[in-house]
Amino acid sequence: MSMDSTLRDLKRINEKYRMFHAMTEDLEPGDSSFLFSVKDNLTSKDMETCAGSRILEGYHPAFDAASVEKMRLAGGKLIGKANMDEFGFGTFSTNSGFEIPRNPYDLDRACGGSSGGSACAASVIEDHVSLGVSTGGSICCPASFCGVYGIAPTYGRVSRFGLIDYGNSLDKIGVISQKAADLKKFMEVIAGRDERDPTSMVQPEFNTAYRKMKSVAVPKEGIEGLSKEVEKAFNDALEQLKSMGVDVDYVDMPSLRYAMPAYYVLATSEASTNLARYVGMRYGHQDGDHTLKFDDYFTDVRTRYFGDEAKRRILLGTFTRMAGFGGRHYAKAREVRQVVINDYKKVLADHDAVLAPTMPFTAPKFDDISKMSALDSYKADYLTVPANLAGTPHLSVPCGYDSDGMPVGMQFVADHWNEDVLFSIAEDWEKQFDLRRPEVSI
Amino acid sequence: MDVKTVRDVAKFAHIALTDEETERYCKDLGDILSYFELLNEAPECDERGVNPILVEDITREDVPKVEYDADVLLRDMDTYERYVRGPRLS
Repeated sequence: MSMDSTLRDLKRINEKYRMFHAMTEDLEPGDSSFLFSVKDNLTSKDMETCAGSRILEGYHPAFDAASVEKMRLAGGKLIGKANMDEFGFGTFSTNSGFEIPRNPYDLDRACGGSSGGSACAASVIEDHVSLGVSTGGSICCPASFCGVYGIAPTYGRVSRFGLIDYGNSLDKIGVISQKAADLKKFMEVIAGRDERDPTSMVQPEFNTAYRKMKSVAVPKEGIEGLSKEVEKAFNDALEQLKSMGVDVDYVDMPSLRYAMPAYYVLATSEASTNLARYVGMRYGHQDGDHTLKFDDYFTDVRTRYFGDEAKRRILLGTFTRMAGFGGRHYAKAREVRQVVINDYKKVLADHDAVLAPTMPFTAPKFDDISKMSALDSYKADYLTVPANLAGTPHLSVPCGYDSDGMPVGMQFVADHWNEDVLFSIAEDWEKQFDLRRPEVSI
Repeated sequence: MDVKTVRDVAKFAHIALTDEETERYCKDLGDILSYFELLNEAPECDERGVNPILVEDITREDVPKVEYDADVLLRDMDTYERYVRGPRLS
């Protein structure tokens, strides 16, 4: 698919897969050397930015996010803003105020969340790279469900300037693509300290030289609760890794079972603070009733335009920040984050990566998702959350297919700043893995 | 979590809930908070960072500058004589 044909077919592709909330109106590639899309929580000065929320409808940023700016400077043409769960609040990209992206392998199934539109675009469109954002697994989960490669780098590796925050201590911008080599190529483009984001780090040199992965640790806690088909695909992949000269050890990482509640305490606390700014002034909808007093005006706008899951997380986060019962959880969650980091450091002192399936099941059908409780949905993130809580770089690669032909992914977690070993295993894995692309017809 | 607490938290968060929503969130949040109790079994740790990696205390020069055109910044906003319009205070 050439850039010309992609741009020509863009509208029809989107009608079928619904990956983009907004698309470029300029259908000429011009001098661009590649096409890219970004999750719709990254600001773009030429397209509406809503982060999946109706409260931001009509928001046209005056500036590009740092990562968007860098992709353009590298010769990229931004073609679309990818659909997502509202503010990143979800596992399936179904919690959106707008369109819900369709899985390229089965349109009745979800793309995963919350960067579902990005993974969908990377899976459907040839020679396409999409930027995603991960807070608790929002790059690796959809990469796994859509059968593509995805990397979330070390926390602080990429500037969050221009990112519409979910959780400031957790959000990381990364890359999703069909091609393993794109991860290294485009992470190199977007990485780096940025004085506009105080949490972007003065960081070790970005090492993109090849570094073979020699050993992985599989935590026993990471292979519990898997579907039979994910378990089989993962075990087959382990055998394949061994044949590639990678040592596989099984380890105990008991802290992983506490990562989920700690993550949800911290993430919702930060989210509820960040979302306090959306009150029907400055951004998005400003159609409140000006005869109301300001408290009532804010309440009216927020009640009308926040979605169900956003309200749930705001309530939860507001409660967990309160003194007493909630505050106790917040303090403990911060301790648990450090315990999880210490556990990773201990295991990664002797291994290049910690490895487990990315998700415990393959992409579910929309009907099945609608029957899940909020807690069921949160618990589905138990394999992706620990690395996000720890701020460690993590990579999902496609590693098999279930009996319905749906992709299975596995996730490698490396130590802080060790993305190089993830790039190398992605490229080594790609050389021997029999990737099945979805049948794309428009 | 009881209904009164949900209502109090919602008011604090500037979200109005119907009776049906209050009951539904009450159950959801109750289930989730029960799950959070698992944290009580977690090992203790003296370290408690805010970010997963220590963020160095780096400041930049505070240099006044005009980076964006005010008209561009105001283009999507509800304005009155180039002021952002907001609800009345009393």
